[in-house]
Amino acid sequence: MADISKNILQKIKKDEVRPYPKQYFLLKRSVIWTVFGLSILFGSIAGAIAMFQLRYAEWDLYKHLSHRPLEFALLVIPFFWLIFLLGFTGFALYNFRHTEQGYRYRTLWVILGSIALSVIGGGILYATGLSERLETAFEHNVPFYRDLQERKQRVCMSPGHGLLAGKIVKIISEQKIQIEDLQGNIWVIDIGDTIWKGRLIPAKNLKIKIIGEMKGQNRFVANEIRPWRGCRGQDRNRYLRHENKR
Amino acid sequence: MNDYENMSDEQLVQLSLKDQDCFYYLMKRYDIKILRYIKRLTTVSQEKAEDIIQEVFIKVYRNLNGFNRKLKFSSWIYQIAHNEIINQYRKTKLRLATIPLNIEDQANLIDSISDTIEINGAYENLENAEKVRNALAELPDKYREILILRYLEDKSYDEISDILRKPPGTVATQINRAKVSFKKIAGRHQLNTGIVK
Repeated sequence: MADISKNILQKIKKDEVRPYPKQYFLLKRSVIWTVFGLSILFGSIAGAIAMFQLRYAEWDLYKHLSHRPLEFALLVIPFFWLIFLLGFTGFALYNFRHTEQGYRYRTLWVILGSIALSVIGGGILYATGLSERLETAFEHNVPFYRDLQERKQRVCMSPGHGLLAGKIVKIISEQKIQIEDLQGNIWVIDIGDTIWKGRLIPAKNLKIKIIGEMKGQNRFVANEIRPWRGCRGQDRNRYLRHENKR
Repeated sequence: MNDYENMSDEQLVQLSLKDQDCFYYLMKRYDIKILRYIKRLTTVSQEKAEDIIQEVFIKVYRNLNGFNRKLKFSSWIYQIAHNEIINQYRKTKLRLATIPLNIEDQANLIDSISDTIEINGAYENLENAEKVRNALAELPDKYREILILRYLEDKSYDEISDILRKPPGTVATQINRAKVSFKKIAGRHQLNTGIVK
């Protein structure tokens, strides 16, 4: 048998094959670890916003809606951000697998580890209040996301079950206001004995959610009025000021 | 004068980076093994197998600076050979072996795995040998490769893990599944087999 190694060495010399420099491998490893880190960071952001939405989801509205528990859960659970979290977890898994020793770990452990890192990172972002600011930024700047959130909020239209949502179009008196609901219908709301949650001040164009009782054609008695986006901690007042100015 | 034969693979890697001629000694240690591995896994001719091994060694040479010292050099070179076989398979639709092993390899493989699978009188006559050959040919590629690495190339679970880039636990599971799968296929071929504790 011919000396294969000798022939290959000759080819290496003839073709002037050279080893790739160390820096090439260093750069490759750095890129993989950086992308892995970014995947965890973006996963953390998604996790933080999901936590924020879950924390302030108005679970108590369930009894006012005609939806079954599963449907209601589907509406309240922040799938948008959970899908993002899973997507970035997948991306992190892919990159981790391409690190030098990444293949040695079972897929399940890598996935759980990535999710755990994202949840810890998300918890930190949530605790600093950044998750709320990020969500607000998304709502203001990403039309698709704003539409998605509004579509979800439209389920609040269930006047027969005591839930109504819309925008104040007129303050008739201290006892009555007029609103335009999310479907464009005009309602007169009796607010004589109403609890205004979140220190809301009635104002034209203010978007609100009303819990109460329907009293005939386009008449509603409000027991409780909540801010449109729910009571969401410190940012709520900033949001209300913004709404009141409009 | 350097005593290349007594040097470790890692030392030869370092020397090869400075002097191309040293790479010859490194290749010499593995050329027969890798060529045999390629031929065990594929149905290619000697000429084609030599083309593949050339690609393997050129890739090894190009990537010498990226060799991870946490791995054994032998695992790394087998890993590159495994990847190159897969590449060739994708590029040229090269067939992975359906009747991969010569008679001697088959006998060795059966002998090696007989601690857990007993094939009674498998090689006592030509008829049985043919049945074993057919049974091995029916094994899925991934099982055949893992059995070859474990029992013909004599690789440990950790080394197979490094070669195939799979977790060691998965390697252990696949080896067990490969044995069970072989036993089932052998049963279909009316080979008298039994699991031995």
